[in-house]
Amino acid sequence: MSTDVLIEAQGLTLSYGRKTALDGVSFKIPKGRVVGLLGHNGAGKTSLMKALVGLLPAAGGDVSVLGLSPVKQRGQLLEQLCYIPDVAVLPRWARAHELITLMSGLQPRFSADRARTLLKRTSVGLNDKVKSLSKGMGVQLHLALIAAIDAKLMILDEPTLGLDVMSRKSFYELLIDEWCDGERSVLISTHQVEEVESLLSDVLMLDEGKLVLDISLADIDSRFHALSHDPAAADAIASAHPLLRYRQTGGRGAAIFDGELPPDVAGLGERIRPSLVDLFMALTRKPQLTPTQA
Amino acid sequence: MHSWNTTAPIYQQLADRLAVQLLDGSPPEGEALPSVRQLAGQYLINPLTVSRALQALVDHGLVESRRGMGMYVTTGARSRLRATEREHFLEKEWPALRAKLARLGIEPEDLNWETPQ
Repeated sequence: MSTDVLIEAQGLTLSYGRKTALDGVSFKIPKGRVVGLLGHNGAGKTSLMKALVGLLPAAGGDVSVLGLSPVKQRGQLLEQLCYIPDVAVLPRWARAHELITLMSGLQPRFSADRARTLLKRTSVGLNDKVKSLSKGMGVQLHLALIAAIDAKLMILDEPTLGLDVMSRKSFYELLIDEWCDGERSVLISTHQVEEVESLLSDVLMLDEGKLVLDISLADIDSRFHALSHDPAAADAIASAHPLLRYRQTGGRGAAIFDGELPPDVAGLGERIRPSLVDLFMALTRKPQLTPTQA
Repeated sequence: MHSWNTTAPIYQQLADRLAVQLLDGSPPEGEALPSVRQLAGQYLINPLTVSRALQALVDHGLVESRRGMGMYVTTGARSRLRATEREHFLEKEWPALRAKLARLGIEPEDLNWETPQ
């Protein structure tokens, strides 16, 4: 395996008893990427992340993370990996500097100096107790602690869930400024599709345990095409079978096509950028979410 | 937080914003642009997307890469940018604006021609 590939999954299948959580998923994550893992609740995002850190054995297929088997070589893997699970909580009684001491003892690649430098960027003081911190500050502290590990890969399961907009922005700033250096990669799951779009280099989209899209953001622009159109053109557009028809803010109709716009459709409106959130709706819509036909 | 619209790819929108700043003399010709990482942090954009935007400016001859030192504004970038922007305004925006002025019955003397300080 090339050292440039940090995660490789081949036909990865996960199940809880009879329920299949992930069904034959294959993908690679190279170095230097910010990969968004998108999917509705129950699509398999958390299960996939658990499998990557060895918390859930594969029911089928192969997975290797940093060239290691997450289950068989878990100890070795966890030394080189940063992970914030969706249920992450820091001990409420601890002060920030105590957590730094704790991490220094637990994690051989942790740098206390780096953690203190990162914390200076946040509003968390070294003497602050976890229980006195707002939710946003707590997440910033957690990110500062794990970003101080000299690792190649970070796995974040819905790190910004429940944070207000300012806290989310600070979180993303810390991530982009202090983690993304062209070598390290991060896999991040979130429901805030619109917000993370510009941060991502690649996207993995899960729908009911299946990988429905694995693409770089640059390739989205060349593969998918969208058109904004007047209501009068709606029928003609519908008959060309787009992936999704929707309404833009402002009420104009729009449609996304997988591939170049059909020639008879291209002249019916203006080309627009297919946004990630529209693409997400197009590829993962559940029956109850089907938008009313424009 | 997300101030990117759906009219064009994000890298294109960033390239356009940087071009507007170049037109205003920021940074001036011959000076360095902020690094990819600085721009990524400032605009909260993936560094690969920032590189794409900078490449678009290189393709238009507005900035050049100096090995190991980053991106620099080329000599004559402002005047070239000004020429293309003028052309765009006169050919694309002005006809629409003129039609709107006519529709609203606005005469040249109705408009404030003072340049804001």
